[in-house]
Amino acid sequence: MQPTALRIALAQIAPRLGQLEANLARHLELVEAAREQGAGLVVFPELGLTGYLLQDLAADVALRLDDPRLGRLVAASRDLSVVASFVEESADHRLFIAAALLEDGRIVHVHRKCYLPTYGLFDERRFFAAGDAIRAVPSRLGVGVGLAVCEDFWHLAVPALLALDGAQLLVNVSSSPGRDLAATNEVGLGTAASWRTLMRTYAQLTTSFIVYCNRVGVDESISFWGGSEVIAPSGAPVFTAPLYDEGLYCVDVDLADVRRERIALPLLRDERPELVVRELERIIAERAGLAVDTTGEVGPEGVDLHAGLPPPGRSRR
Amino acid sequence: MSDPAPSGEPLFELPAELAIDTGVARRVIAEFIRGQLRQAGFERAVLGLSGGIDSSLVAYLTAEAIGPERLLCVLMPYRTSSPASRSDAEEVVRRLGCHSTVVDITPMVDGYFGRPAEGGGPAVLGALGAAGLEASPLRRGNFAARTRMAVLYDHSVTFGGLVVGTGNKTETLIGYTTVFGDNACAFNPIGDLYKSQVRQLAVAVGVPEQIIRKAPSADLWPGQTDEGEAGFSYPVLDRLLYWMIDRRRSHDELVAMGFERAMVERVERMVAASEFKRQVPPIAKLGPRTAGVDYLYPRRRPGSART
Repeated sequence: MQPTALRIALAQIAPRLGQLEANLARHLELVEAAREQGAGLVVFPELGLTGYLLQDLAADVALRLDDPRLGRLVAASRDLSVVASFVEESADHRLFIAAALLEDGRIVHVHRKCYLPTYGLFDERRFFAAGDAIRAVPSRLGVGVGLAVCEDFWHLAVPALLALDGAQLLVNVSSSPGRDLAATNEVGLGTAASWRTLMRTYAQLTTSFIVYCNRVGVDESISFWGGSEVIAPSGAPVFTAPLYDEGLYCVDVDLADVRRERIALPLLRDERPELVVRELERIIAERAGLAVDTTGEVGPEGVDLHAGLPPPGRSRR
Repeated sequence: MSDPAPSGEPLFELPAELAIDTGVARRVIAEFIRGQLRQAGFERAVLGLSGGIDSSLVAYLTAEAIGPERLLCVLMPYRTSSPASRSDAEEVVRRLGCHSTVVDITPMVDGYFGRPAEGGGPAVLGALGAAGLEASPLRRGNFAARTRMAVLYDHSVTFGGLVVGTGNKTETLIGYTTVFGDNACAFNPIGDLYKSQVRQLAVAVGVPEQIIRKAPSADLWPGQTDEGEAGFSYPVLDRLLYWMIDRRRSHDELVAMGFERAMVERVERMVAASEFKRQVPPIAKLGPRTAGVDYLYPRRRPGSART
């Protein structure tokens, strides 16, 4: 039986904006440092190879999956698992924010960020294409691994789908800009407080390990807050990295905790995907005006929000 | 809510919703200052130190981020400037142990507007001739602010440092700044802090108490104070701006919260009327790719650092 003890190395780094070679060198250095410290999994933050606020630089630093520069990092993944993030250019020249699972010198899985925040201080959809797949993959670690990138975790379905698809270790890589310093915040930073709530909740609800790696450093106006974490399947934090400090943080976990938690709290066993998909299909049809909306808001008197379909309980004029 | 001074006496009024975690703020700002300098290829910084709380705080934060030996504070008094401002600025320099220099801008400003007759002596005409003597305080104040900007950018070259901005969020939002004058800088570490938060952070970093206590003033003419000129106090104005801008409360919601309708209207007008001061001037869109429109690069990109 495969050993269940795993040392996870969180590379909470400050990537240099647009400097692919320098960032790649730093990744290679830290993979070796993690290997020397006995890590089985090394996780780098979102766009760790390129920096975050790229704007039009995105096209300049984009990598095809067969790019020899990426190949150097892939080759460094012998005997351990690496999660690294970069701008992926597809064959049809779309640019994605990608996170890849590299194992034993191979690219095992590429997750393309599905939810691109384009509001407030974010402008991702302007520069990037959105991914269309959420998949868990088997891993040399002996458990299924699910990858997500930052904003993906602000959508409930993502951790739920990854867990249902077989992930027992959910990895979120982020470039989360810190904001809201109100003294009333739990940890002095509103963003950190929100993320911590999410990750503890997801770990508990998916009864999985959550590995969160967030970057530090500054791109233009925005400062990234770090605070990378590992959360146990019980929802209890195993490790929390300091805010704003660059570093390679090693965390020991026992993957057997997943089984123990899932036996004691069989939430995933009791999930009802067929119920969820049925209700989603109804909601999609209603939102498209293809079915009578039985629960949506009532429009102004006399205005028919769904052409040809009278809202029930109201007489048409 | 008030931050107690060491004596136990409140130094200033801090609205509860504006209180920040000053430890996190110092950490973020120090990284921001170091990041801005490194990405531009600079190791040193220059700022105009008036002796007021904003520039004093930025001097402390910059010294904390990069060390006082890399900071040059430029004191730029005009002949009507308050002597207390000068001595407060000198106290900051003394406590920090940073570099400093004094440039009296009187000959530059008077060389343009002239100097009115005083003390039995005749009026001295400047570049504008007799008309210059009639210039309003506003024109003179704006000219002085832009003169200081020119002096700072010259020292940026001689000292080899980037110009650090010292404007706060309150004055930026209501437009109480001189465009291309005191708002000109390479980067600004406190531009997202309201005046009340500037005071809170100033206490945390140890800015001298008399600087925190004194009435804020642009010191563009004798006896001028911000609050006297604007007609409302900073704690009230900061609260109003916070709920209006940061928390997106509507006009009617603000009135329902207890803000006077007349003040809400006036502040809304000030914010709207000063939008131009907060933005890069628009370029007429003509070509295929236009800076700021569809040519969008980070200011700091590979190759952007001074070598």
